[in-house]
Amino acid sequence: MKKALFAVPLSLALLLAGCGTTDTGTGGGTDTGTGGDPISTGTTAEVVTAANAFLATLSTSQQASVVLTRTQAEAIQWSNLPCGSNCRNGIQFSTLSATQLAAAQAVVKAAMGTTTNEGYDEAMQIRAADDVLGSAGNSGGGPGGGGYSSGTYFLAFLNTPSTTGQWQLQFGGHHLAVNITYNAGAVTGATPMFEGVEPKCWSVTGTTTTANNCTAPGTSGSTTTYAPLYQEQTAMAAMLAGLSSTQLASAKLSQTFSDVLLGPGEDGQFPATKQGLAVSTLSTTQKALVLAAMKPWVQDVDDTTAAALLKIYENELDSTYIAFSGNSTLTNNTDYVRIDGPSAWIEFVCQTGVVYRDQIHYHSVWRDHTRDYGASYSF
Amino acid sequence: MTLPRSSLLTWLLALVFALLPEQAAAHPMPTTTMQLDLHTSSVTAELALPLNELQLATRWNLLGNSAALEQYGPQLRAYLLKHLAAATPSGQAWTVSVGTPTLTQAEQTMTGPYQEFVVPVRLTPPAGASTRTFTLKYDAIVHQVVTHSILVSIRQDWEQGLHGEHPVQVGVIRTDTRTGTVPPLEVNQAGGSAWQGFVGIFRLGMTHIAEGTDHLLFLLTLLLPAPLLAVMNRRPHWGPFGGTRRSLLNIVKITTAFTVGHSLTLLLGTLRVVNVPDQPIEALIAVSILVSAVHALRPIFPGREMVVAGGFGLIHGLAFSYTLAELNLSPWQTALSLLGFNLGIEAMQLLVIAVTMPWLILLAQTRLYPPVRVVGASLAVLASLGWLGDRVGLANPLGTLADSLGTVGPWALLGLAALAALGFAFQKLRNTEAPSA
Repeated sequence: MKKALFAVPLSLALLLAGCGTTDTGTGGGTDTGTGGDPISTGTTAEVVTAANAFLATLSTSQQASVVLTRTQAEAIQWSNLPCGSNCRNGIQFSTLSATQLAAAQAVVKAAMGTTTNEGYDEAMQIRAADDVLGSAGNSGGGPGGGGYSSGTYFLAFLNTPSTTGQWQLQFGGHHLAVNITYNAGAVTGATPMFEGVEPKCWSVTGTTTTANNCTAPGTSGSTTTYAPLYQEQTAMAAMLAGLSSTQLASAKLSQTFSDVLLGPGEDGQFPATKQGLAVSTLSTTQKALVLAAMKPWVQDVDDTTAAALLKIYENELDSTYIAFSGNSTLTNNTDYVRIDGPSAWIEFVCQTGVVYRDQIHYHSVWRDHTRDYGASYSF
Repeated sequence: MTLPRSSLLTWLLALVFALLPEQAAAHPMPTTTMQLDLHTSSVTAELALPLNELQLATRWNLLGNSAALEQYGPQLRAYLLKHLAAATPSGQAWTVSVGTPTLTQAEQTMTGPYQEFVVPVRLTPPAGASTRTFTLKYDAIVHQVVTHSILVSIRQDWEQGLHGEHPVQVGVIRTDTRTGTVPPLEVNQAGGSAWQGFVGIFRLGMTHIAEGTDHLLFLLTLLLPAPLLAVMNRRPHWGPFGGTRRSLLNIVKITTAFTVGHSLTLLLGTLRVVNVPDQPIEALIAVSILVSAVHALRPIFPGREMVVAGGFGLIHGLAFSYTLAELNLSPWQTALSLLGFNLGIEAMQLLVIAVTMPWLILLAQTRLYPPVRVVGASLAVLASLGWLGDRVGLANPLGTLADSLGTVGPWALLGLAALAALGFAFQKLRNTEAPSA
């Protein structure tokens, strides 16, 4: 009976103590409404149609959680952490009905590329990797099962999707952040885009999933192997493997990277000086490898826009630099590679696994010096 | 917290806060944490360096090395001295001394478990310089691992009412990716004041009691029989309700005696006039609950509750004094703290008494009181035995259960109120029906 008496003061004290907590604040700039140059019209019309179809399946309150006012604060709100709804905008997939979910995925599909293992296909595989983590529990040696799920993905529109106004599509979850900006019917920015994956590959045979068996994606008999960032890793490794030992030495950074440098929150923080090896000094074959290494990232936006961006990046190759840290094979913890051009910024890093602790997993970010968030904001 | 000047940093911090509950570090790679305690003549800090990131920076063989501490402890101190400095705003260097590292297990949000070196550090400004405004230059690990970051927070700062319970983050030290350099962190805690310090210590006093289930249990158990008359015959027992006026007077007497007792030893303990190890004190507090619980079952010291409350108050006050002594305050801060802390303790005690005693006085006038008193006192007996076991070194489930007593509080208080209302209404109904029956 007496125990009642002790929690009251406790809660009172907690109330009092609560006064001291920090204001996380918002602030930041507002939508300038100007935006950058169009990259291509891409599939903007299809994305807007799909977005409207999706919104039509939602209740009014659901719509309110999907369509937000586009401000700088909302635009840069994304993450590469499994932090649930705390660090992402929009509606959570796990709260949607089957019809609503299909309509939501149709929006993402229209916005992302159609290449196998890239674009939409890759995004859905990265989602699926979270189901693998979720069911791995603690068997990988690290903390697992902690809510990792393909349902913990979020879709938001900053401003109402239209082919006349400016708006941004945000889709993401653990290890994925897609930010595509549209203005007046054209894509003005396909970045920042964060992609990572753990486990780096897994096979499914019937109902049996085996993680980190590490072969190329594909189907063999009744077994399908998924490796969403396989192309990214192999293309980067091939680019480095194409260099002579002298070139490798000048591409090598002395610093160590345990994650990507320009992850969430690091908007506009591109190094003032490009580091590493100038692509202008490379042979035609080697330059082709650099372009090929960028392709798996660029292909994660609709195909027309991807082609247009890749052309821009190709034209800028002679002012582009490549650099790496750790091993050029990109197979160990902190092995790191970067492509830094006048526009393109791509980083790829190997990290010790969090759930599968005896394995590495991948983090990568694709940014664009002048086109992040459709060039709407200054940082 | 100090507001960062650049909007980017604001956002970075906002993001960090948004990601991490309770200002703990949340980052996929473990971060270094640096917790600062601001004293009047020096700043002490506790540095926690994750082994995996330290190994990347130093190439020392730390991971999976059971002798890592013995092998690298001395090198770590030298390494830190090389990478840690502080200066006054005008650029005068502070003295830095690095203590002995320990190796502990840690886990930040979403990092999984990992090991870290924890190192105490003392930063002393030149004579006369403030400890509240300085430049912190720290780049261990981050000089090499450019993606590493150091979360700096103020854990203790008397003038801002911080006493180690809710560290406030003041900044993140990390590579400026534009320039590739690690900018120093400007620490500016100039905003504090004696008043803020006083309020902070008052709140600490309230929290101390609110969380000090054992102190409250002692007082409430002692007050449990206060509304009753003791019947001292061959079989001493608790008799009927002694009247509201008498009950209130008893409550005031007992509470005042307890206050006088604990105030006296709080003063002596904080000033270190008496210096008693805390383990026997904690054990004696458990005994004090046991004694008052037995008294609530059968009167063993009727009429001498004041003396007992005062006597045990002396013991409880010693326990309170450890909280203040640990803060290492200046004499002026100590004086203000003694007052503020004691007032906080009183305020919380009175609050608890105010929300519970009316129900007990009501209940004491009904037939429900004997079972309520016996159940309450028995729970107190069990809790005190559990704590006593814990505090003499016998860990037991009862002690663990007793520690969690506080959490079920509001519901039990609600139940007590409902019981009192019901019992009182029933009694009234019976009394009005009695003449016609």
